[in-house]
Amino acid sequence: MTLTTDRPAAPPATGRPTEEPLLRIRGLGVSYGTGARVLDGIDLDARAGEILGVIGETGSGKTTLARAVVGLAPVTTGRITVDGTDRTALRGRALREARRAGAVQYMFQDPLRSLDPDLAVRHLIGEPLAVAGIPADVRAERVLTALDLTGLDRALLDRTPGRLSGGQRQRVALARAIVTRPRLLLADEPVSALDASNRNHVLRLLDRLRHELGLAVVVISHDLDSLAGVADRIAVLYRGRLVEQGPAEAVLTRPLHPYSALLAASAPGLDRTRRAGLALLRTPSPAAPADAACVFAHRCPFADADCRELPQPQPRGADRTAACHHAPAWREHLSR
Amino acid sequence: MSVLRTTARAPIARTALAVLAVVAVLALTGGLLAPLDPLAQDTARILQGPSGAHLLGTDYLGRDVLSRLLAGTGLSVLTAAEAVAAAMLLGVVPGLASVRFGAALSWISLRAVDALMTLPFTLFAIAAVGVLGNGLHQAMLALGVLLAPLFFRVTRAAALGLDRAQYVEAAELMGASRSWILRVHIWRKVLPTVAVTTAHALATSLLAVSSLTFLGIGVQPPAPTWGGMLAGDLGFLAQQPWAPALPAALIMLTVGALNLLADAVRDAEPADAVRGAGPADTAVRKEHRDGLAAV
Ligand code: SF4
Repeated sequence: MTLTTDRPAAPPATGRPTEEPLLRIRGLGVSYGTGARVLDGIDLDARAGEILGVIGETGSGKTTLARAVVGLAPVTTGRITVDGTDRTALRGRALREARRAGAVQYMFQDPLRSLDPDLAVRHLIGEPLAVAGIPADVRAERVLTALDLTGLDRALLDRTPGRLSGGQRQRVALARAIVTRPRLLLADEPVSALDASNRNHVLRLLDRLRHELGLAVVVISHDLDSLAGVADRIAVLYRGRLVEQGPAEAVLTRPLHPYSALLAASAPGLDRTRRAGLALLRTPSPAAPADAACVFAHRCPFADADCRELPQPQPRGADRTAACHHAPAWREHLSR
Repeated sequence: MSVLRTTARAPIARTALAVLAVVAVLALTGGLLAPLDPLAQDTARILQGPSGAHLLGTDYLGRDVLSRLLAGTGLSVLTAAEAVAAAMLLGVVPGLASVRFGAALSWISLRAVDALMTLPFTLFAIAAVGVLGNGLHQAMLALGVLLAPLFFRVTRAAALGLDRAQYVEAAELMGASRSWILRVHIWRKVLPTVAVTTAHALATSLLAVSSLTFLGIGVQPPAPTWGGMLAGDLGFLAQQPWAPALPAALIMLTVGALNLLADAVRDAEPADAVRGAGPADTAVRKEHRDGLAAV
């Protein structure tokens, strides 16, 4: 179990050793028709009972990462295993059966689009069970359980999504995702469309569910603020590459990659002391070589001739990697 | 489905359904209900007005008009239905294929449909009958070809939706089969449009069958049809100016009922959508707060 120092350990979902990651991604590469790599060389783990925050700007590949795990993006290289099963090898009937089993669930970014506007809440939440052929009486019971777990009023059961508030819709999407009792939940920007109070409620809900259900949760976000309070570990993506990952607290307070540092320093909700050097972090280095291989070189204040070579993620302390030739030496510039 | 339920509750739709039910009963049993043989000629009593023996009078060959109207219902309705069935088959399959099998086929089928829609109906029917030979099924096939674009467009729109809607992708992620997705997510959205299209197509083909019969294409005399009677009666306006009104009234009543029903289905749709898409009302907000408090 990898957790930040101030967070109590979540109970494991099964008797399995907690060190064994539930989700294991190795060397993941994804490219679409044009051949351009959307993701390249991603290694990432998520453990049961853990919330992994994946952060990156638009086009960083964070949504593609989640979609690749559930088989919605074309994996060109690497392997994704969930609970020891290779998900990338699943095709046709095997893929459908695995999906029906419901161990891995994906929450789309916009519940208004991902929930059928004609179906009532009870059918929306019950659909994954109905598809799996679970009898109606069992289904009804489990729908109510999921409803209660997500804090939804039973009076909403016969409403269609259009007659729910944004927060309620997000909970229905969450209830639909957990009704199959998954082991892994991938949530794409679960709070980006919500106001501050709903945002906190949904994040707290995710936090509670991973404890109660022993879920591994991957939260995709463009906004460090919404991950700061809830993620145990944070992975930072930039232009399809994993530039840093580690315990949330460490990544937020002592980032090892200049891009993570820029994100941490710019997050509005984070305290002022972390903003040290923001101006410096925003100034690209004049020494950056035009043919740099590092994906961040064009914006990096510390780029130099070394950055012509692609930096690979290197272990930096316990459960932490950073892909920068000058990590952590560049941090000295900040304190100057 | 809620659209159809809403439709069935509308008074106008109920009236239309009642009319159509009567037409359907007549179509099935009209021949049996006919008081006299619709083909029996009585040259001694041609072009007579209503009387005890002939409630709606007789035509130019002395045949009983009421019997011919009743017996002609089945053929008139069935031929129209045949044309619509042909149109569905010729529209639905290419409509699905145009989405599934790449941009080239999509482009070709769209252009073909555009071309079909510009063809004048009567001319096309005459040409088709000229090539295929005169007969009921040939004429209905020609009509089906011309009505096919209606179904093509509806199906294509539905199939595009099937491919692009995120809730369809979400259902696929649950392991739902294609037939589940069609049944649960697509069908209920397509149904109102298909109902409207079918009603309009039936109305169009009923009128077209009549006008083809009028031209001597399709149903061959002496078999009675509404359109054939209308055509025949128009030749004797000087003697019986009111006679064409009888078959015309039946055609108008049926077409009107179909159009009203189609309109009712279409009207039920936005009402439903508005109810479904409205912003959170006070009750929703209250429940929302209560829901939040429960966490
Ligand atoms: S490798 Fe070079 S360009 Fe890339 S982040 Fe590190 S210092 Fe910057």
